Amino acid sequence: MNTSDKKDTHAGMSSQDPDLSRIALLENIRNEGRVWEDLCEQYGVDNPDPPWKVNLEGTCDALSAEACALPLLERRWEEDELSETLYSDVPYPERQLLALAHSMIRRGLVDEEELARRMKEVNRRLNMV
Amino acid sequence: MSKSHHAEKATGKGDPQMFKGEAGPAKFKVGDRVRIKDLPDLFYTRSQVYTRGALGEVAVVTHESPAPEDEAWDNVDKPEWFYIVRFRQKDLWPEYPDAYANDTLQTELSERWLELA
Amino acid sequence: MAEKHKAAPMVEEVSDFEALEMAVRELAIEKGLFTADDHRRFTEFAHSIGSLPAARLVAKAWLDPEFKKLALEDGVKASLEVGIDWLNPTGFGTPSDYTDLRVLEDTPKVKHVVVCSLCSCYPRPILGHSPEWYRTPNYRRRIVRWPRQVLAEFGLQIPEDVDVRVEDSNQKCRFMVMPMRPEGTEGWTEEQLAEIVTRDCMIGVALPRPDVKANAKRPVHKAIHPVEHH
Repeated sequence: MNTSDKKDTHAGMSSQDPDLSRIALLENIRNEGRVWEDLCEQYGVDNPDPPWKVNLEGTCDALSAEACALPLLERRWEEDELSETLYSDVPYPERQLLALAHSMIRRGLVDEEELARRMKEVNRRLNMV
Repeated sequence: MSKSHHAEKATGKGDPQMFKGEAGPAKFKVGDRVRIKDLPDLFYTRSQVYTRGALGEVAVVTHESPAPEDEAWDNVDKPEWFYIVRFRQKDLWPEYPDAYANDTLQTELSERWLELA
Repeated sequence: MAEKHKAAPMVEEVSDFEALEMAVRELAIEKGLFTADDHRRFTEFAHSIGSLPAARLVAKAWLDPEFKKLALEDGVKASLEVGIDWLNPTGFGTPSDYTDLRVLEDTPKVKHVVVCSLCSCYPRPILGHSPEWYRTPNYRRRIVRWPRQVLAEFGLQIPEDVDVRVEDSNQKCRFMVMPMRPEGTEGWTEEQLAEIVTRDCMIGVALPRPDVKANAKRPVHKAIHPVEHH
């Protein structure tokens, strides 16, 4: 007799529900940030993916490699959860990025404030030209 | 084994190939009727809930590897054989239509999850 | 007077998302979560992959019974013949793709479709990046239980006398479908055949057709029930 009455097709992972409380910095980005779809429309560009998408993939792979700071299954399950809740209105690669940042902040891998500072610094650098 | 040892051992061979020969003889073979055990999920597993208790048939004997339940904790000393087990959909889902009685689903499970039916 | 070359359109601003990605990456490297070298390797890998090698594998298999045999027996070895080394970029594969590719052969009796219900594992080295819909809980949960309904939503009606076989790739094996060669392709070259073997055909949600060279646009659905992990 099988246990198909269980609706969920997921395996068990002892409940470590992700912290779904909002993170101010990421809420800000979610609200104010310009998504690739909109940028494409404005500038008449037709690349389906933003140029940073491959870098995001690289980060996700690197995080589950040698030092394994953030294992794949955990990251994906949180991404699933966050994609259905906090970031459900965000398009795909932006959503994956926000979910990743969220997971990393909640795990203490990066700190929200230092991330905000670094973003300012990155913006300054990239806009110098 | 730390991840850096993993790199040393795996380079040039790949993962799971690096574990070849470490699991001993496979307990099951293609065609065996097996039941999926409902082992307690202590923390981490890659065995889907929907397969627990279900009856299936070994379709492929794939490779040797540490079970994900162990590998998640870097316990890689005792690799197991892995098997693709084929289930009739009707045996997994009560409402699956009789019209499609031959539809199947197959998924991969490590040896610890199987017992001869 | 020489005409000025018109520059291709470019996005001229830095979005918050672009800045966030870079900031996350830089901090991660500084904190030793991974090295810049590793990141560069994985990024180059992500940049390099697409579905053409897999399409060529299928086309080759359609034309050459010996190669087809190899493809079905040893997917990693067969991949080498279309220029894909599953050991890249680390010498032992990637942490999410591993090195055990299996090719699933559709027959007149069996139609395969691939999913990873747990997390959307996908044979990236040979098939490229997974589409968004493949990653959604909606697809992952529904295809295992209601495959014919989901395939119908993709425009595929599988007749009653053909069995649908779902492959749920939950461990280290990675899977791609070798669909059946369609009518109307007699005398075609490998290149011509590869053109009609789209990514969606090799996931199993589409069938190759002589007049179709692109994946159809797919709507992405939210799951109805909340995500449950227990």
